[in-house]
Amino acid sequence: MENNLDFKNAKERIEHIEDVLSSVAAGDLDKRLQTDIEDDLTGIEEAINILIEDLTYELKQSKKMKEELEDKLNKIQEQQKTIVQQQEDLLELSSPVTKVWDNVLILPVIGTLDSQRTQIMMENLLQKIVETGCTIAILDITGVPTVDTQVANHLLKTVTAARLLGADCIISGISPAIAQTIVHLGIDLSSIKTKATLQDAMLFAMKKNNQLFEGKIHLEHKEQEEDDK
Amino acid sequence: MQEIISDKNWNKLGIYPIVDEHDIVKVRSIVRQHAKDFRMGIVEQTRITTAISELLRNMYNYANGGDVVIESGDIEEHNALIITCIDKGPGIENVELAMSDGYTSGMGMGYGLPGAKRLVDKFEIYSEPQKGTTVRIMKWK
Ligand SMILES: Nc1ncnc2c1ncn2[C@@H]1O[C@H](COP(=O)(O)OP(=O)(O)O)[C@@H](O)[C@H]1O
Ligand SMILES: [Mg+2]
Repeated sequence: MENNLDFKNAKERIEHIEDVLSSVAAGDLDKRLQTDIEDDLTGIEEAINILIEDLTYELKQSKKMKEELEDKLNKIQEQQKTIVQQQEDLLELSSPVTKVWDNVLILPVIGTLDSQRTQIMMENLLQKIVETGCTIAILDITGVPTVDTQVANHLLKTVTAARLLGADCIISGISPAIAQTIVHLGIDLSSIKTKATLQDAMLFAMKKNNQLFEGKIHLEHKEQEEDDK
Repeated sequence: MQEIISDKNWNKLGIYPIVDEHDIVKVRSIVRQHAKDFRMGIVEQTRITTAISELLRNMYNYANGGDVVIESGDIEEHNALIITCIDKGPGIENVELAMSDGYTSGMGMGYGLPGAKRLVDKFEIYSEPQKGTTVRIMKWK
């Protein structure tokens, strides 16, 4: 049954509709229109209520989506960080020991030497010394930006361990600034053979190698001569 | 030994927590950058970076980490780069001993603290057993 629209009543109700709509516009989605009287305005009121209901639902959905997106973004950023970290670690961990020529190993050290990495570097080098039987190893630290007492200590230990396995180490690539800093720190590296550049170290190794081989050849000759007798 | 306080007029350039070894590497390169911005030469850059490396490693090794504050400001008529390492670790029982060449309570070389002091223009240390240690190094511009 439909009531006729009473003008005074209608004015009040339209004002109420305006109120509710401006609340909605201001972001308050809790307000609804009362529809206890049934007349020509009721349909509009109901429609507005449904609209607010839909709007609330949509807003909730988009808020949820936004949160999910933010979550995903955070995760991606987290992963990105891990990847960068891993790349750094990989770079730092790759301390390839290569045999450059007979009897000489070269280990270019790049990046920062933390304890874990130094451990791996040292193990790699010692392993390679055993495998190849090389008696000269060049540790090039041109790519190491900071030599503090911990790094120096690791270098000393590496050199000592290599010596125990029968290999002499040469450390190259100590820049003038780092050399001065080491002196001020008070560390004594005089027990280690050092060369300014990798090139110097290689020349030195080559000479030493020649001496060694000449010695060896001499010995072999002698042994042969002795065999001939 | 005097407690180490900050001057209100100093300019805070940054504060960084030291939790793991990556933080050491990170803060070390930040310090190097500040030294560069200060127009220090390569030798001075290397000195301050190595000094801070010693302090950061100590903080990491002996005090389970801490905070680093980087500032710039005027000290004794010099414009200085001021770096303060603050930890809440076990503190140092005998600071004089810790500051002497070759003393280590662990497996180190014992040259970190005295070496860092020689590498900078001004060095301050304050430590209270059970409470923590603060070390400040300063380098003139
Ligand atoms: N932040 C610190 N907290 C507690 N103890 C410290 C701290 N820094 C240094 N020490 C103590 O001082 C000693 C000397 O430090 P240092 O000169 O850097 O030599 P190293 O680290 O090689 O032992 C350390 O062995 C340690 O006992
Ligand atoms: Mg130390």
